[in-house]
Amino acid sequence: MRAWYRNLDYITLFAWIGLVTVGLTAIYSTTHGPASEFLLDSVRRNFERQFMWFGISAGGILVCLLLPVRFFQKMAFPAYLFTLALLVATLLIGREVNGAKSWLYIGGFGLQVSELAKVGTVLAVAWLLSNRRPNSSNVRYGLMGVGLLLIPGVLILLQNDTGTALVFFALVPIMLFWSGLPLTTVVLLVSPAIAGYFAIVYMPVAILFSVGFTLWMYLDTKDYRVTALAAMFTGGVVAVASFALAKVLQPHQIARIVSFTNPEAAEFRSGVGYHLVQSKAAIGSGGLTGKGFMEGTQTQGAYIPEQSTDFVFSVIGEEFGFMGAMVILLLFAILLIRLIVLGTQVKHPFGSMVAAGAVGVYLIHVFINIGMVTGLLPVIGIPLPFLSYGGSALLANSAMLGIALNLHMRRDDFSIYGY
Amino acid sequence: MEEYRIRVRIFIGIIFVVIGILGLRLGQLQLLDQDDFTAESRNNAIRENRVIPARGSVIDRNGVLMVSNQPSYNILFTPRYFDEEKIPLVANLLEVPDSVVVQKLKEARAWSGFRPSRSFTGVSFGVFSRVQENQYRLSGVTYEIVEKRSYPTSANASHALGYIREVSGEHLGRLEEQYPERLYRQGDLVGQTGVERRYENYLRGIPGSAFKLVNVHGREIKSYQDGAEDHSPEGGYTMHLHMDSRVQALAESLFVNKRGGAVAIDPNTGGIIALVSKPDFAPEYFSSRLDSATAAYLFQSNEKPLLNRATTNLMPPGSTWKPFMSLMALQEGLIRPGQTVRCGGGHPLGRGRFFSCMGVHGPLTVESAIQHSCNTFFFEMMYRTDIETFNRYAHLFGFGERAPTDIGEQAPGLIPDSAYFNRFAGEGKWGPGWTLSLGIGQGNMGVSPLQLARYVAAVGNRGTLYPPHLVAQLVNPETGTVTYPDLPTPERMPIEPQYFDMVKEGMRRVMEAGTGRLAQIPGIPSGGKTGTAQSPHGRDDSVFIMFAPWDNPQIALAVQCENAGFGGDCAAPIASLMAELYLKGEIPDSPAKTIRMRRALSARSEPLSD
Repeated sequence: MRAWYRNLDYITLFAWIGLVTVGLTAIYSTTHGPASEFLLDSVRRNFERQFMWFGISAGGILVCLLLPVRFFQKMAFPAYLFTLALLVATLLIGREVNGAKSWLYIGGFGLQVSELAKVGTVLAVAWLLSNRRPNSSNVRYGLMGVGLLLIPGVLILLQNDTGTALVFFALVPIMLFWSGLPLTTVVLLVSPAIAGYFAIVYMPVAILFSVGFTLWMYLDTKDYRVTALAAMFTGGVVAVASFALAKVLQPHQIARIVSFTNPEAAEFRSGVGYHLVQSKAAIGSGGLTGKGFMEGTQTQGAYIPEQSTDFVFSVIGEEFGFMGAMVILLLFAILLIRLIVLGTQVKHPFGSMVAAGAVGVYLIHVFINIGMVTGLLPVIGIPLPFLSYGGSALLANSAMLGIALNLHMRRDDFSIYGY
Repeated sequence: MEEYRIRVRIFIGIIFVVIGILGLRLGQLQLLDQDDFTAESRNNAIRENRVIPARGSVIDRNGVLMVSNQPSYNILFTPRYFDEEKIPLVANLLEVPDSVVVQKLKEARAWSGFRPSRSFTGVSFGVFSRVQENQYRLSGVTYEIVEKRSYPTSANASHALGYIREVSGEHLGRLEEQYPERLYRQGDLVGQTGVERRYENYLRGIPGSAFKLVNVHGREIKSYQDGAEDHSPEGGYTMHLHMDSRVQALAESLFVNKRGGAVAIDPNTGGIIALVSKPDFAPEYFSSRLDSATAAYLFQSNEKPLLNRATTNLMPPGSTWKPFMSLMALQEGLIRPGQTVRCGGGHPLGRGRFFSCMGVHGPLTVESAIQHSCNTFFFEMMYRTDIETFNRYAHLFGFGERAPTDIGEQAPGLIPDSAYFNRFAGEGKWGPGWTLSLGIGQGNMGVSPLQLARYVAAVGNRGTLYPPHLVAQLVNPETGTVTYPDLPTPERMPIEPQYFDMVKEGMRRVMEAGTGRLAQIPGIPSGGKTGTAQSPHGRDDSVFIMFAPWDNPQIALAVQCENAGFGGDCAAPIASLMAELYLKGEIPDSPAKTIRMRRALSARSEPLSD
């Protein structure tokens, strides 16, 4: 008899270890450098705590690998409901940290419920879509899936944690894409976001984009309704954005939105642009090879706020330079693509949907986080998976990875159930 | 199933696009714009602690320390870190109104937001210690201890040494361009006049820097890159002067109640032993903040103490011009050795009134003409030559032009030529009647004490015109390397040495049996010539030139007292006492000392009439 782990995909596991190790290195640098004596007590033990969470997460992956496939299928929906209940509980009795009420304390032990909700939601959506009856309408299942995503998304929005809520909303087009919705529809759903982005960064491009996109939709579908929808989505967003920027929003709100395009400007650099100025200075000054471990002046001088959590990437960019940053991107590319490939190897849709969901969550985080610290996107506070300090997130992300790996490892077990 | 595969490919494509966008953005920040962000992060996190080196000290020819340094306390503002809410506290500590702090902060910001500016210099030790105690709660406020100039001797030598002062914006730009390796900054002290300015480059040294990593709260956490970019300060060169501080101090004290200048030169090198200009000022005035009375005296009073009279005060030389005329006459063959000119009380051209002599001297050789200071003789010499020859010889002795020297401020003086008279009187409208008085050093000419001293030095050494200079050498305190001032080689004049001997003989007689009789140095024979220059501004100017010892001159002097009368009254005793002190190292008590002292101290310049 061959060992139970014979199908385990080690490449993914190594990518995971690599990412967590780099994250731990960066966190070590922020807390054990020459400036450590000036740190706040609350962050001083970050490295040790994260190292502990690394161990817990490794255990979590192991547990996920040991459980049978059926367990996850059976537990998918109950887990989802459980996390919803936790979210509601957080809204009622949670603790507010940095303006967001996203922490639930159980006997002195803090838990960021929204991170767990990602796992539960991915499992539930995968379960829903894989249980689709043959010949039933794609659209109906698609809409149900959207509902599964929107409920926790709205709850988290109510917690005032916009960044994390955004992840759930961004999962909608990805999930619909995997559920078989036509590509055009998915693109149509994403187009307002792109148009809105351009409207903030550079208006002429936004107008060009909405015109071009509408034209493309027409040529692609020859459908007047779709074309009208495209024009409405893109042009409408551009119009609303420009109207809002000009008439509705207060100057400080506009500053918050547009400052990322030019944080160095005198009116932003010590205010809303401060995080970005410091983060860009750290990353940019890293150059090709970086300033060296524990040698980053921005990092050691603690110029970047939250440098072990949301801005951990700027530490890597400064101390390990472009090459270090490329290693991170390469590890993420390996992890994400490998997971997609693993998903395709699982013949049962539940396995491939979980893999795709996990990839979706990771990809959104990576894009928003690195886009944010490099000044491509507004500062939206979400962490970099596996690297940022934060136990709940590391455990949740690792567990999701463990489940995806397990479903792949035990892919032959699915055949019993089949469709 | 086929559609599923396409979806997988599209999804992988999206992953590549997302990672690619991020990778390109990182390349832009880290590879293309690296320099900008490196500058930004350096401005943030690296603080430069500057160590101002000790400015070179100044030593006189006997090894006496004339200028050294003592600590002074400065308060620096770094606007980038300055907390504006602390303005009242800072103002309170510095004992100034809030508005002054606001103003200084504005000035500092105009120069640089990130680099510390010297906003308050020369604060008292009390203010300094209070700022030091409170520094932990004053971000953006730092202090430094710098050396300020001190002057241990009793000599001011203000016009020779010059003073140092905070650099002005325009001057700073020039210095930064000229000496980038000297690392000039706003608020640095630089030489403004005298040798302090002339040798600024050597005296300054190179400031040291220590780079510290500073955290977000403005605390220094360690040295940057383990001090790889740090460099220690290099001290300025020690400056050795030809000056004798005792002679200088004596001359300054003798000039009480007088205006004028005195210059003493070593006839064998051209080194300046003393350079006096009165009224003067104490260079210490500029070491700390000027109070308003001092500033008014320096910048507004009609005494003009900042003016270097020793090099810019132009007046006719009077009879001190006669040795020059004699040399020209002998070399040009206007008169031969031993040949006489008869003085009947005046020059015939004058018919009694204008070109008269002080007496009726009878037949005179060159030597006796100098001894008796006979005007008739020198009118005749001037009559026998022309203005162009006169002008050429004057230039041979360095008159009418700036001397090649390390003294910055000089007036070239006036030695007329035919073009001058053509302009002054009209072409063809002037003749010997216009020029004869030049023969006795009166009329349309002007010379400075420095020029006179240089000339009498050349007479004393029989015909070598040295470039007068203050600095003997500059010594690097660390390496011991010696630098000499860059001076042209001395010129040998085309005049026969035997003629110099005859003129020197005449000048010896002046001292022993002429107008310089009362200014003899006991035991040391000397040569001299008094002069009384007609001044358009009141009383005559008293002038005296001298060299000693007579046979082997070691010192040559020219002294000029404005509106102080006859040359023997004021200028001669001063020059004589200076020479005696220089040659003997002291002035032993003697009746001759008492006489000269009394005469020197009792003479006074006619007060200025505003």
